[in-house]
Amino acid sequence: MRRIVFGLLVISAIFAALVWAGEVGVGPVVITREGEQKIVLLFGSPVSVQTEPGLSLRVPFVSNVVSFDRRFLYFNSEPQQMQTRDAERPVVDHYVVWRIADPLKFFASFPSGMSQAEAQIDRVTRSDLREVVGTKTLAEVVTTEREQVMRAITDKSAASLAEFGIEVRDVRINRTELPPGTEENVYARMRSQREQLARKYRAEGEQEGRRIRAEADRDARVTVADAQRDADVLRGEGEAESARIYAEAHAIAPEFYGFVRRLDAYKKTIGAQTTLVVPPSNDFFELLESFTPKAAP
Amino acid sequence: MAREPQESPEERVRKSVARTIANLTVLLISLGVLGAWAYFGIYQLEPGQAAVILRFGKYVHTVSQPGLRWHLPPPIEDHEVVNVASIDREEFGYLTGDAEPTSEEKLEAAMQTSDANIVHLSFVVQYRIKDAFQARYRIADPRPVLRDAAQAAVRGVVGRNTIDDVLSEKRGIVETETQEVLQDTLDHYESGLAVLGIELQDVQPPESVRAAFDDVLGAVQDRNRTVNEAQGYANEVLPKSRAQSVELIESARGYRDARIAEATGQASRFRAIASEYQKAPEVVRTRLFLETMEDVLPSVRTVIVEPGTAVMPYLPLDERPKEVAK
Repeated sequence: MRRIVFGLLVISAIFAALVWAGEVGVGPVVITREGEQKIVLLFGSPVSVQTEPGLSLRVPFVSNVVSFDRRFLYFNSEPQQMQTRDAERPVVDHYVVWRIADPLKFFASFPSGMSQAEAQIDRVTRSDLREVVGTKTLAEVVTTEREQVMRAITDKSAASLAEFGIEVRDVRINRTELPPGTEENVYARMRSQREQLARKYRAEGEQEGRRIRAEADRDARVTVADAQRDADVLRGEGEAESARIYAEAHAIAPEFYGFVRRLDAYKKTIGAQTTLVVPPSNDFFELLESFTPKAAP
Repeated sequence: MAREPQESPEERVRKSVARTIANLTVLLISLGVLGAWAYFGIYQLEPGQAAVILRFGKYVHTVSQPGLRWHLPPPIEDHEVVNVASIDREEFGYLTGDAEPTSEEKLEAAMQTSDANIVHLSFVVQYRIKDAFQARYRIADPRPVLRDAAQAAVRGVVGRNTIDDVLSEKRGIVETETQEVLQDTLDHYESGLAVLGIELQDVQPPESVRAAFDDVLGAVQDRNRTVNEAQGYANEVLPKSRAQSVELIESARGYRDARIAEATGQASRFRAIASEYQKAPEVVRTRLFLETMEDVLPSVRTVIVEPGTAVMPYLPLDERPKEVAK
């Protein structure tokens, strides 16, 4: 019993010691942590590759271990002026997200390490960028086909960098600047567009205003004309009704009506400017001619 | 195992006690060592923190419950504490009214729209870690990646919209679209970051064209004013015409009623006289005639001429118009 416990203790102590030793890089145990990958070199030549995290073994003392990052890495290259299909020369700034996919190839290609690899990435993505942008117009690169352009560059660069053990996750244009000196042209165009817009809005206002006024005038006119019509109808009703009333009354004594009406007309028409020339035999003056004191029988 | 035959019973008891004590001591020491080792597996987690647990360097799980926690002691397992609650922000471009922007800030701000205009905008990205393991072990340095990816996303979205869209109410759409694009990009990089929001701050046309843009706003106001004035005119003219209509109709109605009343009055007057006339036609006729003559003749120049007398019938036609003219 005592021996079993003691033996277990000793074994675990040895194991722990080996793992600890592995963590500082000595002994037969190699620990690969998340975000790392390792190559074991025996007399300088690679014998095993550890891309997954966990424990592995090696021959102690005569082998050594080289670690590589397994995480996604970021590389931003300098902005660069390039020519588009429509002969514009924008300044394009891009970045690359990549990682070491095959540490063996990577180690063989870039024995002096990361800066060498980044120089290679810079070279390849730049030339791919230049090539793809050269087949597109500025508007396509900047606005309409932005995504396609970036995908094309990513695919191209991924294909050509795979042989170096590099996985390209994304090549992305983070900024496109107009060619120096052309800004003023853009501003001039923007200004003239705005002037057109302003004129258009003012003209629209003028048009709309006139339409509203004209419609109002028309409506007013129609309203008054309708009212005039209704008024005339009413007047006509009045005339007709009064004519009917007169006619009804006069039908009682038409001849007498003619007499009375004539007298009324005399009152109205005969005035200071009238000269009457009448014979004394006139009904009114008959007494002047044949007066007799005694009344007629 | 050979035994000394002459060992006394006391001696034997003493030995067995000593063996038991030795056994117990070894056991206690072993337990003590194990306990001390296990102690190294205790760690504490504050709220807002997460611990990534690795076993022999390999990811096992993420612990996010705060408190006193334990994992298998090193070198079997170890942990990495990551702050997952804190919200970070990155600013891009510059705000008007700030100190003179640097040339880098100016470059960040200028963007091209789908109608080949340039707009200057500044924005803020807020983010936090949503996956502690990814943020630690899948991407090397998330911050510059986030900055470049955010600019690429905003430029992509702005490049799909016109300058009027970006300057107007569609700003909100630009914000949400950018957030989606940026989140997709960051997920593609396995960054473990969550974009909480994108906020456009200052969206302006470039300084040298700002006056032209302001004039468009003025033109819109002019248009509205012209329309409002016309509307005002209409609001004045139409009621006036309706008032005039009412006047016309009312006056016509008055005319009609007056005519009818007048006719009714005249008719009844005539009826009255006519009934008198029918009783004594001669008398009434004569009386009416004479009354009329009395009325009429005083103002009239009356010449009475005997028929057959030599009076030259002279009608001074040339004087007529003058008199008429009076």
